[in-house]
Amino acid sequence: MTAAAMTDRPAYAPKGEYRLTGAGLLRSEWTKLWSLRSTWIVLLCAVVFAGGLGALISGSVPTDQGFSGADMSLGFAMAGVSLSSVFIAVLGILTVTGEYSTGSIRSTMSAAPRRLSVLWSKAAVYGAVVAALFTVMVFATFFLSQALFDGTALGGISVGDDGVLGALLGYVAMIVYLALLAIAIGAILRNSAGSIGFYIGVIMILPELATLLPWNWVSDVTPYAPGNVPNTLLLVDTSQGTLGVGESWLWMGVWLVVAYGLAAVLLKRRDV
Amino acid sequence: MERRPARRSVVGMIEIEHLTKRYGKKTAVDDLTFAVKPGVVTGFLGPNGAGKSTTIRAIVGLDAPTAGLARVNGKHYSEFRSPLTEVGALLEAKSVHAGRSAYKHLLALARTHGIPTRRVHEVIDLVGLHEVAGKRVGGFSLGMGQRLGIAVALLGDPAVLILDEPVNGLDPDGVKWIRLLLKGLAAEGRTVFLSSHLMSELAQTAEHLIVIGQGRLLADTTVDDFVSGSGQSRVRVVSPDAARLAEHLAGPGVSIASPERGVLEVSGTEAAVVGQTAAAHGLVLHELRTDRGSLEDAFMQLTADAVEYRNTLEGAK
Repeated sequence: MTAAAMTDRPAYAPKGEYRLTGAGLLRSEWTKLWSLRSTWIVLLCAVVFAGGLGALISGSVPTDQGFSGADMSLGFAMAGVSLSSVFIAVLGILTVTGEYSTGSIRSTMSAAPRRLSVLWSKAAVYGAVVAALFTVMVFATFFLSQALFDGTALGGISVGDDGVLGALLGYVAMIVYLALLAIAIGAILRNSAGSIGFYIGVIMILPELATLLPWNWVSDVTPYAPGNVPNTLLLVDTSQGTLGVGESWLWMGVWLVVAYGLAAVLLKRRDV
Repeated sequence: MERRPARRSVVGMIEIEHLTKRYGKKTAVDDLTFAVKPGVVTGFLGPNGAGKSTTIRAIVGLDAPTAGLARVNGKHYSEFRSPLTEVGALLEAKSVHAGRSAYKHLLALARTHGIPTRRVHEVIDLVGLHEVAGKRVGGFSLGMGQRLGIAVALLGDPAVLILDEPVNGLDPDGVKWIRLLLKGLAAEGRTVFLSSHLMSELAQTAEHLIVIGQGRLLADTTVDDFVSGSGQSRVRVVSPDAARLAEHLAGPGVSIASPERGVLEVSGTEAAVVGQTAAAHGLVLHELRTDRGSLEDAFMQLTADAVEYRNTLEGAK
Protein backbone atom coordinates (compact mmCIF):
# COMPACT_ATOMS: atom_id res chain seq x y z
CA MET A 1 0.00 0.00 0.00
CA THR A 2 2.74 2.36 1.00
CA ALA A 3 4.85 1.46 -1.98
CA ALA A 4 1.91 2.21 -4.28
CA ALA A 5 1.34 5.52 -2.56
CA MET A 6 5.00 6.31 -3.09
CA THR A 7 5.01 5.75 -6.84
CA ASP A 8 1.72 7.63 -7.18
CA ARG A 9 3.25 10.72 -5.65
CA PRO A 10 3.22 13.67 -8.01
CA ALA A 11 6.53 14.85 -9.34
CA TYR A 12 8.30 17.57 -7.41
CA ALA A 13 6.40 20.78 -7.13
CA PRO A 14 8.27 23.28 -9.26
CA LYS A 15 10.27 25.68 -7.15
CA GLY A 16 8.44 28.90 -6.52
CA GLU A 17 5.00 27.36 -6.21
CA TYR A 18 5.00 27.62 -2.43
CA ARG A 19 6.49 30.65 -0.74
CA LEU A 20 6.87 31.77 2.81
CA THR A 21 4.97 35.07 2.92
CA GLY A 22 3.86 37.60 5.51
CA ALA A 23 0.22 36.90 4.64
CA GLY A 24 0.92 33.20 5.06
CA LEU A 25 2.38 33.78 8.51
CA LEU A 26 -0.66 35.83 9.53
CA ARG A 27 -3.01 33.07 8.36
CA SER A 28 -0.87 30.52 10.17
CA GLU A 29 -1.02 32.45 13.44
CA TRP A 30 -4.78 32.85 13.01
CA THR A 31 -5.11 29.06 12.58
CA LYS A 32 -2.89 28.43 15.58
CA LEU A 33 -4.82 30.87 17.78
CA TRP A 34 -8.25 29.39 17.10
CA SER A 35 -7.19 25.74 17.05
CA LEU A 36 -6.56 25.68 20.80
CA ARG A 37 -9.34 25.11 23.27
CA SER A 38 -7.66 27.47 25.75
CA THR A 39 -8.23 30.42 23.39
CA TRP A 40 -11.98 29.90 23.39
CA ILE A 41 -12.13 29.34 27.14
CA VAL A 42 -10.01 32.35 28.08
CA LEU A 43 -11.77 34.70 25.65
CA LEU A 44 -15.14 33.49 26.92
CA CYS A 45 -13.98 34.23 30.48
CA ALA A 46 -12.84 37.70 29.38
CA VAL A 47 -16.20 38.43 27.73
CA VAL A 48 -18.22 37.15 30.69
CA PHE A 49 -16.09 39.13 33.13
CA ALA A 50 -16.17 42.32 31.08
CA GLY A 51 -19.93 42.32 30.50
CA GLY A 52 -21.09 40.44 33.57
CA LEU A 53 -19.07 42.30 36.16
CA GLY A 54 -19.91 45.62 34.51
CA ALA A 55 -23.62 44.81 34.66
CA LEU A 56 -23.41 43.45 38.19
CA ILE A 57 -21.62 46.52 39.51
CA SER A 58 -23.77 48.95 37.53
CA GLY A 59 -26.91 47.27 38.81
CA SER A 60 -25.88 47.43 42.46
CA VAL A 61 -24.43 50.94 42.82
CA PRO A 62 -26.16 52.57 45.81
CA THR A 63 -28.17 55.62 44.72
CA ASP A 64 -27.80 57.48 48.03
CA GLN A 65 -24.03 57.98 47.91
CA GLY A 66 -24.09 60.95 45.61
CA PHE A 67 -22.26 59.23 42.74
CA SER A 68 -22.65 61.20 39.55
CA GLY A 69 -20.89 62.24 36.41
CA ALA A 70 -19.72 60.55 33.25
CA ASP A 71 -16.32 59.47 34.62
CA MET A 72 -17.82 57.79 37.63
CA SER A 73 -20.48 56.17 35.49
CA LEU A 74 -17.89 54.78 33.10
CA GLY A 75 -15.67 53.73 35.99
CA PHE A 76 -18.40 51.47 37.40
CA ALA A 77 -19.47 50.19 34.00
CA MET A 78 -15.96 49.36 32.82
CA ALA A 79 -14.66 47.76 36.02
CA GLY A 80 -15.16 44.37 34.42
CA VAL A 81 -13.41 45.42 31.22
CA SER A 82 -10.36 46.52 33.21
CA LEU A 83 -10.28 43.26 35.14
CA SER A 84 -10.72 41.10 32.07
CA SER A 85 -7.48 42.55 30.75
CA VAL A 86 -5.81 39.93 32.97
CA PHE A 87 -7.37 37.16 30.89
CA ILE A 88 -6.35 38.89 27.69
CA ALA A 89 -2.79 39.33 28.91
CA VAL A 90 -2.51 35.73 30.09
CA LEU A 91 -3.75 34.43 26.73
CA GLY A 92 -1.34 36.75 24.93
CA ILE A 93 1.53 35.37 26.99
CA LEU A 94 0.40 31.79 26.33
CA THR A 95 0.35 32.27 22.55
CA VAL A 96 4.12 32.62 22.83
CA THR A 97 5.15 30.62 25.89
CA GLY A 98 2.81 27.75 24.99
CA GLU A 99 4.93 27.21 21.90
CA TYR A 100 8.09 26.98 23.97
CA SER A 101 6.64 24.69 26.65
CA THR A 102 5.25 22.23 24.09
CA GLY A 103 8.13 22.42 21.63
CA SER A 104 5.94 23.58 18.75
CA ILE A 105 8.21 26.62 18.52
CA ARG A 106 10.70 24.32 16.74
CA SER A 107 8.15 23.64 14.00
CA THR A 108 7.21 27.30 13.85
CA MET A 109 10.78 28.56 13.58
CA SER A 110 11.90 25.94 11.10
CA ALA A 111 9.07 27.13 8.83
CA ALA A 112 10.07 30.79 9.35
CA PRO A 113 13.78 30.74 10.14
CA ARG A 114 14.18 34.51 10.22
CA ARG A 115 12.00 34.38 13.31
CA LEU A 116 11.06 38.06 13.69
CA SER A 117 8.16 37.83 11.26
CA VAL A 118 6.63 35.23 13.58
CA LEU A 119 6.67 37.71 16.45
CA TRP A 120 5.11 40.47 14.35
CA SER A 121 2.46 38.08 13.02
CA LYS A 122 1.51 36.87 16.46
CA ALA A 123 1.21 40.44 17.72
CA ALA A 124 -0.80 41.58 14.68
CA VAL A 125 -3.26 38.67 14.75
CA TYR A 126 -3.82 38.70 18.50
CA GLY A 127 -3.94 42.50 18.65
CA ALA A 128 -6.58 42.56 15.90
CA VAL A 129 -8.68 39.86 17.56
CA VAL A 130 -8.56 41.64 20.91
CA ALA A 131 -9.35 45.00 19.28
CA ALA A 132 -12.41 43.59 17.50
CA LEU A 133 -13.68 41.67 20.51
CA PHE A 134 -13.28 44.52 22.96
CA THR A 135 -14.71 47.16 20.67
CA VAL A 136 -17.88 45.09 20.82
CA MET A 137 -17.57 44.39 24.55
CA VAL A 138 -16.83 47.97 25.60
CA PHE A 139 -19.78 49.41 23.70
CA ALA A 140 -22.13 46.58 24.70
CA THR A 141 -21.17 47.02 28.33
CA PHE A 142 -21.59 50.79 28.09
CA PHE A 143 -25.12 50.55 26.68
CA LEU A 144 -26.03 47.82 29.18
CA SER A 145 -24.82 49.91 32.11
CA GLN A 146 -26.61 52.98 30.84
CA ALA A 147 -29.84 50.97 30.71
CA LEU A 148 -29.23 49.95 34.33
CA PHE A 149 -28.29 53.49 35.42
CA ASP A 150 -31.40 54.91 33.75
CA GLY A 151 -33.09 57.43 36.04
CA THR A 152 -30.08 57.75 38.41
CA ALA A 153 -27.43 60.45 38.52
CA LEU A 154 -25.08 58.05 36.65
CA GLY A 155 -27.49 57.61 33.75
CA GLY A 156 -28.36 59.73 30.76
CA ILE A 157 -24.89 59.64 29.25
CA SER A 158 -24.68 59.40 25.49
CA VAL A 159 -21.81 58.27 23.26
CA GLY A 160 -22.14 61.67 21.61
CA ASP A 161 -21.36 63.52 24.84
CA ASP A 162 -18.03 65.31 25.05
CA GLY A 163 -15.19 62.84 25.70
CA VAL A 164 -17.35 59.74 26.13
CA LEU A 165 -16.52 58.16 22.78
CA GLY A 166 -12.84 58.91 23.39
CA ALA A 167 -12.95 57.26 26.81
CA LEU A 168 -14.69 54.16 25.44
CA LEU A 169 -12.11 53.86 22.67
CA GLY A 170 -9.50 54.47 25.35
CA TYR A 171 -10.59 51.26 27.08
CA VAL A 172 -10.22 49.37 23.79
CA ALA A 173 -6.78 50.92 23.28
CA MET A 174 -5.70 49.97 26.80
CA ILE A 175 -6.72 46.33 26.36
CA VAL A 176 -4.96 46.07 23.00
CA TYR A 177 -1.85 47.74 24.45
CA LEU A 178 -1.75 45.30 27.37
CA ALA A 179 -2.34 42.34 25.02
CA LEU A 180 0.63 43.43 22.89
CA LEU A 181 2.79 44.06 25.95
CA ALA A 182 1.94 40.57 27.22
CA ILE A 183 3.07 38.94 23.95
CA ALA A 184 6.41 40.75 24.15
CA ILE A 185 6.85 39.68 27.78
CA GLY A 186 6.12 36.08 26.76
CA ALA A 187 8.69 36.34 23.96
CA ILE A 188 11.32 37.74 26.33
CA LEU A 189 10.82 35.30 29.21
CA ARG A 190 9.64 32.26 27.16
CA ASN A 191 8.18 30.66 30.26
CA SER A 192 4.46 30.69 31.12
CA ALA A 193 4.66 30.92 34.90
CA GLY A 194 7.48 33.45 34.83
CA SER A 195 5.76 35.66 32.27
CA ILE A 196 2.37 35.62 33.98
CA GLY A 197 4.03 36.28 37.32
CA PHE A 198 5.98 39.17 35.85
CA TYR A 199 2.90 40.62 34.21
CA ILE A 200 0.73 40.47 37.31
CA GLY A 201 3.51 41.46 39.69
CA VAL A 202 5.38 44.14 37.78
CA ILE A 203 2.83 45.49 35.32
CA MET A 204 -0.33 45.27 37.42
CA ILE A 205 0.50 45.33 41.13
CA LEU A 206 3.88 47.03 41.56
CA PRO A 207 2.77 50.52 40.41
CA GLU A 208 -0.15 50.34 42.84
CA LEU A 209 2.01 49.22 45.75
CA ALA A 210 4.67 51.78 44.92
CA THR A 211 2.29 54.64 45.72
CA LEU A 212 2.39 53.49 49.33
CA LEU A 213 6.12 54.16 49.55
CA PRO A 214 7.09 57.31 51.51
CA TRP A 215 9.29 58.89 48.82
CA ASN A 216 7.90 61.65 46.65
CA TRP A 217 9.86 60.69 43.55
CA VAL A 218 8.02 57.38 43.47
CA SER A 219 4.68 59.04 42.93
CA ASP A 220 6.31 61.21 40.25
CA VAL A 221 7.42 58.11 38.41
CA THR A 222 4.48 55.72 38.80
CA PRO A 223 2.28 57.42 36.15
CA TYR A 224 4.95 56.42 33.62
CA ALA A 225 4.93 52.76 34.65
CA PRO A 226 3.95 50.48 31.73
CA GLY A 227 0.70 49.43 33.41
CA ASN A 228 -0.32 53.03 34.20
CA VAL A 229 0.38 54.94 31.01
CA PRO A 230 -3.00 54.24 29.37
CA ASN A 231 -4.97 55.54 32.39
CA THR A 232 -5.56 59.03 31.04
CA LEU A 233 -7.20 57.62 27.91
CA LEU A 234 -9.91 56.03 30.07
CA LEU A 235 -11.17 59.41 31.29
CA VAL A 236 -14.08 61.38 29.89
CA ASP A 237 -12.49 64.52 31.32
CA THR A 238 -8.89 63.87 30.31
CA SER A 239 -7.68 67.02 32.08
CA GLN A 240 -8.00 65.01 35.32
CA GLY A 241 -5.30 62.59 34.19
CA THR A 242 -1.74 62.68 35.53
CA LEU A 243 -0.47 62.49 31.96
CA GLY A 244 -1.81 64.35 28.96
CA VAL A 245 -3.54 62.37 26.19
CA GLY A 246 -0.56 62.82 23.87
CA GLU A 247 1.87 61.80 26.61
CA SER A 248 -0.23 58.74 27.31
CA TRP A 249 -0.05 57.60 23.68
CA LEU A 250 3.65 58.45 23.54
CA TRP A 251 4.50 56.37 26.58
CA MET A 252 2.42 53.42 25.42
CA GLY A 253 4.47 53.57 22.24
CA VAL A 254 7.72 53.87 24.16
CA TRP A 255 7.00 50.81 26.30
CA LEU A 256 5.94 48.75 23.28
CA VAL A 257 9.09 49.73 21.38
CA VAL A 258 11.24 48.83 24.40
CA ALA A 259 9.47 45.51 24.97
CA TYR A 260 9.43 44.47 21.31
CA GLY A 261 12.96 45.71 20.73
CA LEU A 262 14.23 43.50 23.54
CA ALA A 263 12.05 40.58 22.44
CA ALA A 264 13.31 40.89 18.84
CA VAL A 265 16.99 41.05 19.80
CA LEU A 266 16.64 38.03 22.08
CA LEU A 267 14.64 36.10 19.51
CA LYS A 268 17.38 36.60 16.95
CA ARG A 269 20.25 35.85 19.30
CA ARG A 270 19.00 32.94 21.35
CA ASP A 271 18.82 29.34 20.23
CA VAL A 272 15.27 28.12 19.86
CA MET B 1 33.40 37.21 1.81
CA GLU B 2 34.59 34.46 -0.41
CA ARG B 3 32.97 34.60 -3.83
CA ARG B 4 31.52 31.45 -5.19
CA PRO B 5 30.06 30.69 -8.59
CA ALA B 6 26.46 29.49 -8.62
CA ARG B 7 26.92 25.90 -7.55
CA ARG B 8 24.39 23.62 -9.17
CA SER B 9 26.25 20.65 -7.79
CA VAL B 10 25.20 21.47 -4.24
CA VAL B 11 21.50 20.85 -4.85
CA GLY B 12 20.45 18.27 -2.35
CA MET B 13 23.74 18.44 -0.49
CA ILE B 14 23.98 18.93 3.23
CA GLU B 15 27.38 20.39 4.04
CA ILE B 16 28.74 20.66 7.54
CA GLU B 17 32.00 22.56 7.79
CA HIS B 18 34.03 22.77 10.98
CA LEU B 19 30.81 22.95 12.97
CA THR B 20 31.34 23.60 16.65
CA LYS B 21 28.60 24.16 19.19
CA ARG B 22 29.20 24.85 22.85
CA TYR B 23 26.52 25.24 25.49
CA GLY B 24 28.30 27.09 28.24
CA LYS B 25 31.37 24.99 28.98
CA LYS B 26 29.99 21.82 27.44
CA THR B 27 31.05 21.17 23.87
CA ALA B 28 28.25 19.33 22.12
CA VAL B 29 29.74 19.36 18.64
CA ASP B 30 33.46 19.72 18.07
CA ASP B 31 34.83 20.79 14.68
CA LEU B 32 32.59 18.48 12.71
CA THR B 33 32.96 18.32 8.93
CA PHE B 34 31.03 16.06 6.56
CA ALA B 35 28.70 16.14 3.59
CA VAL B 36 25.53 14.24 2.82
CA LYS B 37 24.73 13.40 -0.80
CA PRO B 38 21.39 13.02 -2.52
CA GLY B 39 19.96 9.75 -3.76
CA VAL B 40 21.01 7.56 -0.85
CA VAL B 41 19.90 7.14 2.72
CA THR B 42 22.67 8.42 4.97
CA GLY B 43 22.68 7.30 8.56
CA PHE B 44 23.88 9.59 11.33
CA LEU B 45 25.10 7.31 14.04
CA GLY B 46 26.32 7.94 17.52
CA PRO B 47 25.60 7.13 21.14
CA ASN B 48 23.12 9.27 23.03
CA GLY B 49 24.62 12.67 23.71
CA ALA B 50 27.09 12.42 20.84
CA GLY B 51 25.82 15.65 19.28
CA LYS B 52 23.47 14.31 16.61
CA SER B 53 20.47 16.42 17.58
CA THR B 54 22.65 19.49 18.05
CA THR B 55 24.04 19.06 14.53
CA ILE B 56 20.53 18.71 13.11
CA ARG B 57 19.32 21.74 15.03
CA ALA B 58 22.22 23.72 13.56
CA ILE B 59 21.31 22.57 10.05
CA VAL B 60 17.73 23.83 10.34
CA GLY B 61 18.82 27.08 11.96
CA LEU B 62 17.37 26.52 15.42
CA ASP B 63 20.77 26.70 17.10
CA ALA B 64 23.46 29.11 15.96
CA PRO B 65 26.87 27.40 15.66
CA THR B 66 29.61 28.64 17.96
CA ALA B 67 31.92 28.26 14.95
CA GLY B 68 31.76 26.79 11.48
CA LEU B 69 28.65 26.45 9.39
CA ALA B 70 25.94 24.17 8.18
CA ARG B 71 24.51 24.54 4.69
CA VAL B 72 21.84 22.86 2.63
CA ASN B 73 21.71 23.32 -1.15
CA GLY B 74 24.64 25.67 -0.72
CA LYS B 75 22.75 28.04 1.52
CA HIS B 76 22.33 28.69 5.18
CA TYR B 77 18.85 27.56 6.26
CA SER B 78 17.69 31.08 7.11
CA GLU B 79 18.40 32.23 3.54
CA PHE B 80 15.65 30.03 2.12
CA ARG B 81 12.66 31.87 0.70
CA SER B 82 10.52 28.80 1.28
CA PRO B 83 12.27 26.59 3.84
CA LEU B 84 9.57 23.91 4.00
CA THR B 85 9.99 23.14 0.31
CA GLU B 86 13.77 22.97 0.57
CA VAL B 87 14.26 20.93 3.72
CA GLY B 88 11.83 18.70 5.58
CA ALA B 89 12.85 18.07 9.15
CA LEU B 90 11.61 15.74 11.83
CA LEU B 91 12.95 17.25 15.02
CA GLU B 92 12.61 15.79 18.48
CA ALA B 93 9.50 13.65 18.50
CA LYS B 94 6.93 16.14 19.67
CA SER B 95 7.47 19.59 18.25
CA VAL B 96 3.73 20.11 18.39
CA HIS B 97 1.38 21.90 20.76
CA ALA B 98 -0.30 19.12 22.76
CA GLY B 99 -3.65 20.92 22.63
CA ARG B 100 -3.78 21.18 18.85
CA SER B 101 -5.03 18.49 16.48
CA ALA B 102 -2.64 16.88 14.02
CA TYR B 103 -4.61 18.37 11.15
CA LYS B 104 -4.51 21.92 12.53
CA HIS B 105 -0.80 21.63 13.29
CA LEU B 106 -0.10 20.67 9.69
CA LEU B 107 -2.54 23.27 8.41
CA ALA B 108 -0.87 26.06 10.42
CA LEU B 109 2.52 25.12 8.98
CA ALA B 110 1.12 24.73 5.46
CA ARG B 111 -0.41 28.20 5.57
CA THR B 112 2.93 29.89 6.20
CA HIS B 113 3.96 28.76 2.71
CA GLY B 114 0.58 28.86 1.00
CA ILE B 115 0.56 25.06 0.73
CA PRO B 116 -3.00 23.96 -0.09
CA THR B 117 -5.15 21.85 2.27
CA ARG B 118 -5.14 19.15 -0.41
CA ARG B 119 -1.47 18.59 0.33
CA VAL B 120 -2.16 18.49 4.09
CA HIS B 121 -4.66 15.65 3.57
CA GLU B 122 -2.18 13.95 1.27
CA VAL B 123 0.58 13.76 3.87
CA ILE B 124 -1.89 12.72 6.59
CA ASP B 125 -2.93 9.78 4.42
CA LEU B 126 0.66 9.02 3.50
CA VAL B 127 1.72 8.57 7.14
CA GLY B 128 -1.46 6.74 8.08
CA LEU B 129 -2.89 9.27 10.54
CA HIS B 130 -6.22 9.68 8.77
CA GLU B 131 -8.26 8.22 11.63
CA VAL B 132 -6.78 10.46 14.33
CA ALA B 133 -6.01 13.64 12.39
CA GLY B 134 -8.77 15.54 14.19
CA LYS B 135 -7.65 14.47 17.67
CA ARG B 136 -5.51 16.50 20.03
CA VAL B 137 -1.84 15.57 19.74
CA GLY B 138 -1.50 15.38 23.53
CA GLY B 139 -3.20 11.98 23.43
CA PHE B 140 -0.91 10.59 20.74
CA SER B 141 1.46 7.71 21.36
CA LEU B 142 5.13 8.30 20.61
CA GLY B 143 4.71 6.35 17.40
CA MET B 144 1.80 8.53 16.26
CA GLY B 145 3.83 11.61 17.17
CA GLN B 146 6.64 10.33 14.95
CA ARG B 147 4.24 9.79 12.08
CA LEU B 148 2.98 13.35 12.49
CA GLY B 149 6.57 14.58 12.52
CA ILE B 150 7.23 12.73 9.28
CA ALA B 151 4.09 14.27 7.78
CA VAL B 152 5.47 17.70 8.73
CA ALA B 153 8.78 16.86 7.07
CA LEU B 154 7.06 15.76 3.85
CA LEU B 155 4.57 18.67 3.80
CA GLY B 156 6.49 20.92 1.43
CA ASP B 157 7.62 17.95 -0.72
CA PRO B 158 11.27 18.89 -0.13
CA ALA B 159 14.28 17.40 -1.84
CA VAL B 160 16.16 17.14 1.44
CA LEU B 161 14.83 15.22 4.44
CA ILE B 162 16.45 15.34 7.85
CA LEU B 163 14.99 13.03 10.46
CA ASP B 164 16.12 12.88 14.07
CA GLU B 165 15.59 9.38 15.48
CA PRO B 166 12.50 8.69 13.35
CA VAL B 167 12.27 5.07 14.47
CA ASN B 168 11.92 5.89 18.18
CA GLY B 169 8.62 4.64 19.52
CA LEU B 170 7.44 3.02 16.30
CA ASP B 171 6.05 -0.50 16.45
CA PRO B 172 7.61 -3.20 14.20
CA ASP B 173 5.08 -2.42 11.46
CA GLY B 174 5.92 1.23 11.68
CA VAL B 175 9.65 0.52 11.55
CA LYS B 176 9.19 -1.54 8.42
CA TRP B 177 6.98 1.15 6.93
CA ILE B 178 9.46 3.96 7.53
CA ARG B 179 12.33 1.89 6.19
CA LEU B 180 10.47 1.43 2.90
CA LEU B 181 9.37 5.05 2.87
CA LEU B 182 12.88 6.40 3.32
CA LYS B 183 14.41 4.08 0.75
CA GLY B 184 11.67 5.10 -1.68
CA LEU B 185 12.31 8.77 -1.05
CA ALA B 186 16.03 8.33 -1.61
CA ALA B 187 15.34 6.36 -4.77
CA GLU B 188 13.47 9.41 -6.10
CA GLY B 189 16.73 11.29 -5.84
CA ARG B 190 16.09 12.99 -2.54
CA THR B 191 18.63 13.43 0.21
CA VAL B 192 17.65 11.38 3.24
CA PHE B 193 19.63 11.94 6.41
CA LEU B 194 18.48 10.15 9.51
CA SER B 195 20.01 9.92 12.93
CA SER B 196 19.84 6.93 15.19
CA HIS B 197 21.66 5.40 18.11
CA LEU B 198 20.41 2.02 16.88
CA MET B 199 23.08 0.51 14.65
CA SER B 200 20.87 -2.39 13.65
CA GLU B 201 18.25 -0.02 12.32
CA LEU B 202 20.69 1.95 10.19
CA ALA B 203 22.30 -1.24 8.89
CA GLN B 204 19.01 -2.11 7.23
CA THR B 205 18.09 1.35 5.98
CA ALA B 206 21.20 3.37 5.25
CA GLU B 207 23.85 2.96 2.60
CA HIS B 208 26.18 5.61 3.87
CA LEU B 209 27.16 6.33 7.45
CA ILE B 210 28.36 9.32 9.38
CA VAL B 211 29.46 8.19 12.82
CA ILE B 212 30.12 10.65 15.62
CA GLY B 213 31.06 10.37 19.25
CA GLN B 214 31.53 13.20 21.72
CA GLY B 215 30.69 15.62 18.96
CA ARG B 216 33.61 14.49 16.77
CA LEU B 217 33.57 12.69 13.47
CA LEU B 218 34.55 9.04 13.91
CA ALA B 219 33.73 7.69 10.48
CA ASP B 220 32.33 8.86 7.15
CA THR B 221 31.96 5.75 5.04
CA THR B 222 29.58 3.24 3.48
CA VAL B 223 27.85 0.73 5.70
CA ASP B 224 29.72 -2.13 4.00
CA ASP B 225 33.13 -0.54 4.45
CA PHE B 226 32.29 0.36 8.00
CA VAL B 227 31.65 -3.25 8.91
CA SER B 228 34.50 -4.82 6.94
CA GLY B 229 36.97 -2.11 7.86
CA SER B 230 36.32 -2.50 11.52
CA GLY B 231 38.80 -5.36 11.91
CA GLN B 232 36.05 -7.47 13.32
CA SER B 233 35.98 -10.08 10.59
CA ARG B 234 37.90 -13.23 11.45
CA VAL B 235 38.28 -16.78 10.26
CA ARG B 236 37.00 -19.61 12.39
CA VAL B 237 38.71 -22.98 11.91
CA VAL B 238 37.84 -26.30 13.46
CA SER B 239 40.59 -28.82 13.05
CA PRO B 240 41.93 -31.85 14.93
CA ASP B 241 45.36 -30.45 14.07
CA ALA B 242 44.61 -26.99 15.41
CA ALA B 243 47.86 -26.59 17.29
CA ARG B 244 50.03 -27.39 14.28
CA LEU B 245 47.89 -25.26 11.99
CA ALA B 246 48.33 -22.35 14.38
CA GLU B 247 52.10 -22.66 14.15
CA HIS B 248 51.97 -22.48 10.36
CA LEU B 249 49.53 -19.56 10.29
CA ALA B 250 51.45 -17.44 12.75
CA GLY B 251 53.06 -14.41 11.22
CA PRO B 252 53.16 -10.62 11.34
CA GLY B 253 49.69 -9.04 11.54
CA VAL B 254 48.01 -12.34 12.21
CA SER B 255 46.51 -13.00 15.61
CA ILE B 256 45.24 -16.37 16.63
CA ALA B 257 43.02 -17.27 19.53
CA SER B 258 41.81 -20.66 20.60
CA PRO B 259 38.55 -20.34 22.50
CA GLU B 260 38.32 -24.11 22.91
CA ARG B 261 40.33 -27.23 22.05
CA GLY B 262 40.47 -27.79 18.32
CA VAL B 263 39.05 -24.37 17.43
CA LEU B 264 40.99 -21.37 16.15
CA GLU B 265 39.84 -17.84 15.59
CA VAL B 266 42.24 -16.16 13.22
CA SER B 267 42.15 -12.52 12.37
CA GLY B 268 44.40 -10.60 10.03
CA THR B 269 44.17 -13.13 7.27
CA GLU B 270 41.59 -14.73 4.98
CA ALA B 271 39.81 -18.08 4.84
CA ALA B 272 41.51 -18.88 1.51
CA VAL B 273 44.94 -18.44 3.04
CA VAL B 274 44.04 -20.66 5.98
CA GLY B 275 42.71 -23.34 3.65
CA GLN B 276 45.81 -23.24 1.46
CA THR B 277 48.08 -23.42 4.47
CA ALA B 278 46.23 -26.44 5.79
CA ALA B 279 46.35 -28.16 2.42
CA ALA B 280 50.06 -27.41 1.97
CA HIS B 281 50.81 -29.15 5.25
CA GLY B 282 48.28 -31.93 4.89
CA LEU B 283 46.21 -30.84 7.86
CA VAL B 284 42.58 -31.88 8.20
CA LEU B 285 39.90 -29.20 8.48
CA HIS B 286 36.40 -29.85 9.81
CA GLU B 287 35.17 -26.34 9.45
CA LEU B 288 36.40 -23.14 7.82
CA ARG B 289 34.27 -20.02 7.99
CA THR B 290 34.59 -16.24 7.88
CA ASP B 291 32.76 -14.42 10.68
CA ARG B 292 31.76 -10.96 9.54
CA GLY B 293 31.45 -8.56 12.44
CA SER B 294 28.08 -6.93 12.86
CA LEU B 295 27.58 -3.22 12.44
CA GLU B 296 26.82 -3.25 16.12
CA ASP B 297 30.27 -4.65 16.92
CA ALA B 298 31.95 -2.16 14.64
CA PHE B 299 30.08 0.69 16.21
CA MET B 300 30.80 -0.42 19.74
CA GLN B 301 34.49 -0.75 18.95
CA LEU B 302 34.63 2.66 17.32
CA THR B 303 32.77 4.51 20.04
CA ALA B 304 34.04 2.56 23.04
CA ASP B 305 36.60 5.20 23.90
CA ALA B 306 34.14 8.04 23.51
CA VAL B 307 31.52 6.41 25.70
CA GLU B 308 34.02 5.33 28.31
CA TYR B 309 35.51 8.79 28.51
CA ARG B 310 32.15 10.40 28.95
CA ASN B 311 31.08 7.92 31.59
CA THR B 312 34.25 8.63 33.51
CA LEU B 313 33.61 12.34 33.28
CA GLU B 314 30.06 12.05 34.49
CA GLY B 315 31.08 9.66 37.23
CA ALA B 316 33.59 12.22 38.46
CA LYS B 317 30.96 14.93 38.87
